[in-house]
Amino acid sequence: MKEEFLLGNGVMALGILEAGCQIMTSYPGTPSSEILPEVVRFSKASNLNTSIEWSINEKVAFDNAFAAAISGKRACCCMKMVGLNVAADSFMSAAYIGNIGGLVIISCDDPGPHSSQTEQDSRLMARLGKVPVLDPSSPEEAREMIKFAFDLSEEFQVPVMVRPAIRVCHARQNVKYGTLKSNLTKADFKKEPTRWASTPKFRFLQHKALNKKHLKISEKFNTLTPFNMHTLEKGKSYPFGVVTGGVPSSVVQDIFKEYQRDDIPVLKLGAPYPFPEKLGDIFMDACDKVLVIEETDTVIEYMLRDKKKTLGRLSGHVPMEGELVPEKIEGILNKALSDCGLSVLSDYDCGQEAFSLVNDLALPIRKPTLCPGCPHRASFYSIRKALPKAIFPSDIGCYTLGSNLGVVDTVLDMGAGITMASGFWNAYIQDDVKKPIVATMGDSTFFHSGITGLINAVYNNSRFIFVILDNHITAMTGMQPAITQGDRVDGSKGNAISLETIVKGCGINYLKVCDPFDTKNMIKIVKNASRYVNDPDGGIAVIISRHPCVIGFKDEAIPEKIPVKITDDCNDCGFCRTRFECPALVHDEENERTVINKTLCAECGVCIQICPQGAIQKA
Amino acid sequence: MKTINYVLTGLGGQGILFMTKIFATAALKKGYSILGAETHGMAQRGGSVVSHLRIGKSQSSLIRAGAADFLLSMDESEAYRYLPYLKKGGKLFANAPSDTFPDDRVTAYLKKQDIETRAMEAAKTAMALGGPRSTNLAMVAFYAAFGVGPLNADDLRTTVVKMSPGPFKETNLKIFDACYETGRKMVV
Repeated sequence: MKEEFLLGNGVMALGILEAGCQIMTSYPGTPSSEILPEVVRFSKASNLNTSIEWSINEKVAFDNAFAAAISGKRACCCMKMVGLNVAADSFMSAAYIGNIGGLVIISCDDPGPHSSQTEQDSRLMARLGKVPVLDPSSPEEAREMIKFAFDLSEEFQVPVMVRPAIRVCHARQNVKYGTLKSNLTKADFKKEPTRWASTPKFRFLQHKALNKKHLKISEKFNTLTPFNMHTLEKGKSYPFGVVTGGVPSSVVQDIFKEYQRDDIPVLKLGAPYPFPEKLGDIFMDACDKVLVIEETDTVIEYMLRDKKKTLGRLSGHVPMEGELVPEKIEGILNKALSDCGLSVLSDYDCGQEAFSLVNDLALPIRKPTLCPGCPHRASFYSIRKALPKAIFPSDIGCYTLGSNLGVVDTVLDMGAGITMASGFWNAYIQDDVKKPIVATMGDSTFFHSGITGLINAVYNNSRFIFVILDNHITAMTGMQPAITQGDRVDGSKGNAISLETIVKGCGINYLKVCDPFDTKNMIKIVKNASRYVNDPDGGIAVIISRHPCVIGFKDEAIPEKIPVKITDDCNDCGFCRTRFECPALVHDEENERTVINKTLCAECGVCIQICPQGAIQKA
Repeated sequence: MKTINYVLTGLGGQGILFMTKIFATAALKKGYSILGAETHGMAQRGGSVVSHLRIGKSQSSLIRAGAADFLLSMDESEAYRYLPYLKKGGKLFANAPSDTFPDDRVTAYLKKQDIETRAMEAAKTAMALGGPRSTNLAMVAFYAAFGVGPLNADDLRTTVVKMSPGPFKETNLKIFDACYETGRKMVV
């Protein structure tokens, strides 16, 4: 059997195909992005006819999967946890209505956060939507849980969520391949309006039926070994126990093994909702105190009935924010044991001495930056140069890093670059102030959540410049193909969607297209757009700043390499480093000047255009 | 076998994931269980990148601060940043000038923790031999010279050859051998 060192997301892809999933949809977002491409890879390798698509956003992905599931097929929809917010409207109804073929939602959490705007816990969303949830502790367990989730979903005709955290998604593990398949179920949608198109009266009945299903599922979860299990010895009572689940449960297991503390019982809840009440009671009855270690919110902790016995976030033992990394968990365990008057695991200082020593070294702060040669950098430079006093609402993507160049003032969620621009306009115009506003957004984000905001802004007569940063790819999440190119995830051709047509269709009358690598031209275009915005007969001006991503399209992005040098005219003013902020422009402190880091330099040559002294020249 | 923990670090773009795969592939060939944790997404863009790799049985993919057997860093600053992950008696390998590394401010800590450090300018060697992007395997070779841990130099060298794309095979091998030699000279 083939064995591979797979990313957790790849291991989950194996689980999805081992379960015979027929329909797979997703929108990329860290840490979930690699699941769907891995399903494509395995499906192709096994000659399966799995239907797989990058949808335009998570709600669209969810609805597509849902329709397949109520047609009797096994369907899976995956996303990052904030993507579930986008799909929330559908998600909240789905459990009431239920499904026929198994419907599994994989919502990937990002405690930390490492690459997200929040640390929200998808298990809470599952509870809100009354969707049973499984919380894997490792890639292998996630794989097994996905297969179980499909079965459970079909048994109870209810969608099931699997919520892997980033340490499952981006763990790597050696795994053996199982038999991959795509079920042969034919689509067979049976009309039943009182179910599939139910009115509020029927929704009440569906809610009631759902609650009954939950009681049964909770019962099942009481004995769901090994996802849910305890290490109590029969009839024995304990002064202290640990309740945990998901990624922290694997850390707890490692730590107890290392310190040989099998005197401390553990209740692992990999299937925490609907809460396995009996299992919880058995464990609580056997322990005088229990410590709850879970990521990232108080889900299990709230569901345990006896709060007087419980230590966790509410008692101040577990931090309310941040990832529960192993050194933190060891510290938490030591503190809780000591507070209960029990012997601690170790006198471990959680690495504090070393971390504070390192802190004193004042190491360079490594903030994420746009890549050398990135077209967004050129766009941001020109926008600021043209309208330095504007408000710059922006959005989610690589270009969020335009904040380093002072051209990203706000980031709220997908699509807010436009909607906040109209909001700023309204707030100022009420005071008769025509505030200059330049909104930026990537092409993929525009399709995901920008279009409705743009239509709204046109309809309500807002005025601002909107720059679409069109790099032909969804870059930040790992180079997924763009809708504008019409490329589909399996390599087949879909229909390319023209940005120009969509923008005009939103009611925009002023549209310019430019290549940001020509900064002089782009500065002029932004200034002209500003005139249109301020003209009494004007309106919203849209600029498509179009240049392929330097990582995704190496050859097309820089067709002609322009090596650069810095002459002795450099007077160390620092303009290029702060306002252009290319990682290849480095400060040489000794010689008080800027130098080129040739290893990093992409030889795009754009920096030649920006030096106030003209000291950056073609080499 | 006891679990052996590797923390691999450097800057975005230096090829940490490839470095991780070299170790993992070599370990897989020897039949060890492996579990690792990687950096992706926003955190990957030009920032400090770290990869945890655990050879031998373990449940959690993350290495606890103070539990790493080996720290390999492709960047001098990052070597200091991840120093807290090394255990007492751990070993540090850095792409840094051997005459100035480590910084005086950490020597007392290193001594107390019985941490041994080894440094060479692996990036410079890689660059000189025509592989400016091969600092990752240069550091693997340098580490291999000291013969510590469950993977020996032959395992790693074979893996590097196998994993290097065709046109880079020869250059990568030259870099591997040069850095291995530099390391060997330090072993007395």
